[in-house]
Amino acid sequence: MNLLSLGLVHGLIAQIAGTIFGMALVMFFRVVAGLPAWEREPVFVGGAIVGAIAFMIGVGALNDWFKWARGEKTSDDISPDPDKPNWTRFFSVDYDHKVIGIQYGVTSVLLLGFGGIFAMLFRLELAEAGITILNSDIFELILGYSGPHLYNSLMSLHGIVMIASILLGVGAMSNYLVPMLIGANDMAFPRLNAFAFWINVPGAIILLSSLFLGGFDTGWVGYPPLSLRAPLGMQMFLLGVYIVGLSSISGAINVIVTVFRLRAPGMTMMRMPIFAWAALATAFIQLTATQLIGLSFQLTMLERLLGMGFFTPDVGGDPILYQHLFWFYSHPAVYVFILPGLGVISELLPVFTRKPLFGYRWVAYSSMGIALVGFFVWAHHMFSSGMSPYLRIPFMYATLLVAIPTGVKFFSWVGTLWRGKITTPTPMLFVLGSIVIFLMGGVTGPPLGTIATDLHLHDTWYVVGHFHDTMFGGYVFPFFAAIYYWFPKMTGRKYDERLGKLHFWLMFPAFMVMTLGQIFLGMLGMRRRVADYDPALGFDPTQLLITIAGFAIFISVIIALYNLIRSARKGEVAVGNVWNSRSPEWQIPNPAPLHNYAHPFHVVGQPYDYGLQDAPYVDMDPAGTPAHS
Amino acid sequence: MADHHMTASYKERLARNRMGLWLFIISDAFVFIGLFVARVVLLPGQRPHLEQGLGLVVTTMLLVSSFFMNRAETELAHGNRAGFMRGTLITLVLGTIFLIGVVGIEWQIAPFGPADGAQGAIFYAMTGFHAFHVLTGVIFLAIVWNNGRKGHYSAEEHWAVEACAVYWHFIDVVWIFFYPALYLMGTPVL
Amino acid sequence: MLHFVIVAVLVALSTFGLGSYFASGALLPEAASQQSLVIDWLFGVHGWLVAFFFSLIVVFLLYSVIVFRRRPGEQGDGAYITGNHQLEIIWTLIPLAIVLWLAVIGASTLADVERRDPNALVVDVYAAQWSWTFEYENGAITTDLVLPVNQQVLLRLHSNDVIHSFYVPQFRVKQDVLPGGPEFTRELRITPTQEGEFKIQCAELCGQLHYDMLADVMVVSEAEYLVWLDQAAGDCEGTDEQCGQRWANQFGCLACHSLDGSVILAPSWLGIAGSEEELTDGSTVLVDAEYLHRSIVDPNAQIVAGFQPNIMPQDFEERMTEEQIQQVIAFILSLGE
Repeated sequence: MNLLSLGLVHGLIAQIAGTIFGMALVMFFRVVAGLPAWEREPVFVGGAIVGAIAFMIGVGALNDWFKWARGEKTSDDISPDPDKPNWTRFFSVDYDHKVIGIQYGVTSVLLLGFGGIFAMLFRLELAEAGITILNSDIFELILGYSGPHLYNSLMSLHGIVMIASILLGVGAMSNYLVPMLIGANDMAFPRLNAFAFWINVPGAIILLSSLFLGGFDTGWVGYPPLSLRAPLGMQMFLLGVYIVGLSSISGAINVIVTVFRLRAPGMTMMRMPIFAWAALATAFIQLTATQLIGLSFQLTMLERLLGMGFFTPDVGGDPILYQHLFWFYSHPAVYVFILPGLGVISELLPVFTRKPLFGYRWVAYSSMGIALVGFFVWAHHMFSSGMSPYLRIPFMYATLLVAIPTGVKFFSWVGTLWRGKITTPTPMLFVLGSIVIFLMGGVTGPPLGTIATDLHLHDTWYVVGHFHDTMFGGYVFPFFAAIYYWFPKMTGRKYDERLGKLHFWLMFPAFMVMTLGQIFLGMLGMRRRVADYDPALGFDPTQLLITIAGFAIFISVIIALYNLIRSARKGEVAVGNVWNSRSPEWQIPNPAPLHNYAHPFHVVGQPYDYGLQDAPYVDMDPAGTPAHS
Repeated sequence: MADHHMTASYKERLARNRMGLWLFIISDAFVFIGLFVARVVLLPGQRPHLEQGLGLVVTTMLLVSSFFMNRAETELAHGNRAGFMRGTLITLVLGTIFLIGVVGIEWQIAPFGPADGAQGAIFYAMTGFHAFHVLTGVIFLAIVWNNGRKGHYSAEEHWAVEACAVYWHFIDVVWIFFYPALYLMGTPVL
Repeated sequence: MLHFVIVAVLVALSTFGLGSYFASGALLPEAASQQSLVIDWLFGVHGWLVAFFFSLIVVFLLYSVIVFRRRPGEQGDGAYITGNHQLEIIWTLIPLAIVLWLAVIGASTLADVERRDPNALVVDVYAAQWSWTFEYENGAITTDLVLPVNQQVLLRLHSNDVIHSFYVPQFRVKQDVLPGGPEFTRELRITPTQEGEFKIQCAELCGQLHYDMLADVMVVSEAEYLVWLDQAAGDCEGTDEQCGQRWANQFGCLACHSLDGSVILAPSWLGIAGSEEELTDGSTVLVDAEYLHRSIVDPNAQIVAGFQPNIMPQDFEERMTEEQIQQVIAFILSLGE
């Protein structure tokens, strides 16, 4: 197999060539405009933009659209080329939602690895007071900077790379699961789907390149005027996030249309598997809010490049305006991160309790409720920012209201567990872990929601602890639950149960230590985003503990990856309905065949009627046609 | 393998495409809402110092172009190919004139540059983001016109034309908000 | 029914245990201001709510997992319960009531925290990368904040570069400091109630040395404060070098220019006077009084090779008197070889 024939390789070569071409192009225009040809920032930004477009052309994600623009016929057949080995599909443009889902998932895990390595580096730095390992000359040699600026850059990159990883993980779950759960054979727009995945690759490359272009010391929020003074790496951060945002928006359009138009006969909205509701609510947020982080980042880029006065007071701008635009996306964004995870919890609980999901309708509506309320709470990130003081009160009310639909979910989960017949294989352990951790994220929220207490807690490690609770409980644990649960469906093999359990029993307690340490330090008033702290404050032992816990989490993820990679090749073959689930995707062979369902199934019952005799959810063969027609 | 349920009918695909397009437009509208908010916050009670006559001319061009876009689509739906081609071409030309008017003339004669305070930032950002959309719309029109020339669209099946028209009207509606925001609201800065 | 009784008892026990720990204040630093008393009361309320809801869910969850686990050899599914609308309505409405009540007391505590004393002492706080300066109404300019106990102080917060945030954990309140002149000046009111020394910390990431942007706040008795204030306002009576050192400290020069030869973000002042320095444009310059003056009033004009422009504030010509600048130069010259 020739590596050069892979779409990914084409794309990467094109990106390098495109970047160089783009740089030359900017220099050419600068000369034409009578400016000196070389100025680092515009030349690099121009190169990065052209490079990203070149990647998309090179990888082949735009081919059919170019054909269409030229008026040529495009084929509707999305079947892979039978002459090529199956694995090559994952490295080239492919329109099958399952392949795209796995592409999303693998890229997400890769970014998770980068984000994790960044975290391990600055955790080592924080383990004791004093600037220690980050002062090493190795960093000066490789990156051209070290010390506190490196700390700030690593911390900022950890934040944004993890967010990109989560967005891709959400894409993985939506793409792999939604069509299968609702009885479709693919997403509504397969080409847009491939575009939405592949655009992440140049986006992630540009984002990571910021580390080598001076880094940026603003945190992932990038508040101006600091972001206007940061090194070139800032532009790569802004551009990279913008590109990943494009993926979010196009993915969201696809999910919404798929859920509304491609459901199997008989599947009303209230009979959809609950994950589809979560994906739908998520997509609505991504569709609308993402545009405003895109806008605020573009305006920052323009201010840096052309001196346009959006956010600098001296030239007529307003730094608070940025914060409003930014948080209008970035608060709802956390619901993008958690809603699919909460959907996974609701989806898996009935299977492992052998009981119906308690209050299906309420759980479904609560997702929509969270998504809706989430649009009216953004300014709670700004209680001490100096925004209009009276505006803070309505935002406090709206913020506390988020507790209501979130509470409904918790109560429904407890209602589902009550009097079940509970088994605890690895996916269920992760589900239970999610509930406890997300609960910690939930109960630590209201003290941040009431303004008076937030004045103490804002920008301390308490917020770090709260946020990691919501992310691990709302995304990381459910994501692993989903991977373990649907692993047989993806690969046709079983994962190693002992290693899975080891993963959980290492990660869960380690996370507890980490987050309780963070919350504890924050309550005492330790500021977040500091490269160093005064040893006299006595924070050292807790920080050391957090570092150890962080490394334990890192190791547990390595164990998980070892388990998954090994099992995908050598695991026990998984036959049939592994979890004895009622859901349609478990009624077809493992791994799921190319076009999921040989003929459309009919929905004849409720999705989670465990415990009710003779009440199937789906009729897989309504016409009575013989299989393999 | 007879995957007859794999490929949806034209009607079903049309329904999906329409929904997808409208979702895109809702999404895109948020960019312009954000710019509008920025304009109100940064220049309260004021507006950039601009050439009123030129503003009126380009606005008229864009409004009239939407009329011809609508004609083009209607003619096609009634089977009048020539009328469709004529309407598309006129829309394309008017859109190009709008671009020349805003980027080619107004940008050059404005008494301030992008780095000159809030008015520069707001004016160039709002017209720039909008002009980028007009440019993509003009490219879209050119593609539709070229494919129309090759006889690709019929009275029954012409989703691309419909999409182009909806997108063009969207751009027009945005300008209906932006024109007063830039040319009429408040008193001139200078 | 027995299940519910057991769970209720466990929830009550757990709530009591956790709640009394959270509400004891053991998790918070010393409370040293009027505002902190109000805020800590609200923390107490939150503590009990956190304890109750955490216990409720976790006890139910653990109890279910243990008691309702599938025993070896057991067949069949769990109880067929699809939901209960009455229950759903109850657990929507009760939390709603709690949340609304919380918002009401949240607003009233905020009003208490921000209560204004018309006779408050006014101090202008200037934040810059990476130093704090305080200007009192009688003209005293200092780098430590000294406050009288039991009197409200109104801090007017100004920044001349990026966003900073004024935060003293023992006072419990923080406020971002915005650049941009009077329109962006923000206020913070604090009434210290404990004498002692605390740290002012910048709580908003402000660049490279953010972690080190600290200053001392000393809360003293009224009498001590008045004595100190008089002294601080007095003109500098030492030699030019001594006064220069004082201004260098007050105006934040020493945040970046070290006196011991180490490089923070700018050239160290030790031995710089009289030396030949290479500039970023390749030329060299003799560091004399004239060069030093230019470097203070127009820092970007000549940057020493290896350092970045735009780090040093460019408004010292307005903020310092010519005499102060001359004294700082005298101080730097005294550090030469």
